Amino acid sequence: MDSLRIEATSCSPLIDFDPAAGLLRIEGESYPENSFDFYAPVFSWLEDYLKDPAPAVVLDIGLSYLNTSSIKCMIDVLEMLDGAHQKGQTVSVRWHYDSDNDRALDMAEEFAEDVSLPFEILAH
Amino acid sequence: MKGNELFNLQELLSRQKLLICFSGPFSHSVIEELGKAVRNHLESEQIEKSAIMDVFSVYVEQAQNVRNYTASREALGRPIPANSGIVVIGKEDDHYVVSSGNLMEAGDVPGLSAMLEKLRGLDKAGLKAVYKEQSRKPREAGATGAGLGLIDMARKATRPLEYSLRAVDDAYFFFSLEVQL
Repeated sequence: MDSLRIEATSCSPLIDFDPAAGLLRIEGESYPENSFDFYAPVFSWLEDYLKDPAPAVVLDIGLSYLNTSSIKCMIDVLEMLDGAHQKGQTVSVRWHYDSDNDRALDMAEEFAEDVSLPFEILAH
Repeated sequence: MKGNELFNLQELLSRQKLLICFSGPFSHSVIEELGKAVRNHLESEQIEKSAIMDVFSVYVEQAQNVRNYTASREALGRPIPANSGIVVIGKEDDHYVVSSGNLMEAGDVPGLSAMLEKLRGLDKAGLKAVYKEQSRKPREAGATGAGLGLIDMARKATRPLEYSLRAVDDAYFFFSLEVQL
């Protein structure tokens, strides 16, 4: 399976998914013109990948700001991974946030509330 | 614009302690550039990062709502009369106020006012419950938004959302929304 890499812009994050290592990184800010178009390749890549993923998969997120349509996309990404976790695959989330930004922590905690997979929130 | 009209407009804007006012066609690049300017300005004011992010995120939701609504009517072959959108960020005493206005079709008014009235009647816990419920709904085909913007603004606001809907003619209403942070 090919890796997926989309470079960051000022309003869309870096997407860097390494299938062999099981490391899926999303980093930056997310308020693109059309979030559903932006995240469409992410959804289709994950759908394929989760049929036969690496032994351990980590979603590594460093998102300092998401608009509401990006939040919806991230909920959908987390639900896909949570589904894999419930089927017995080893999947976890590491969510990084800037300790000056309380809103980023609130957001991470709300995402964590809705999933059952291991979800680590790390201050920097 | 004549000099005295420009003077009156500038005086009105200064009285409202506005940081930024944009009226005209909203493109994604306008939204992005204004957003950057707002953030740079607020960072120079030495206010807390969470407060900067609240102003920025409410501004993005409002500007993208105006833009997405305009684009959706265009896609239906019913373009909104040009340049009716406006977004304004101001300061009242020690807090920020983010407001927007745009024309909307008369047929969309009852649904919007019912939604806003519902949000105005909810406390923090109620708003969170509505937000969670909406965020779990499957996306509507072709929709550009997730239906979360107004709820998110209501959650960030320190007071209930203020709005007005004024008939402009038989076809359109002017919708204005004010979010106090």
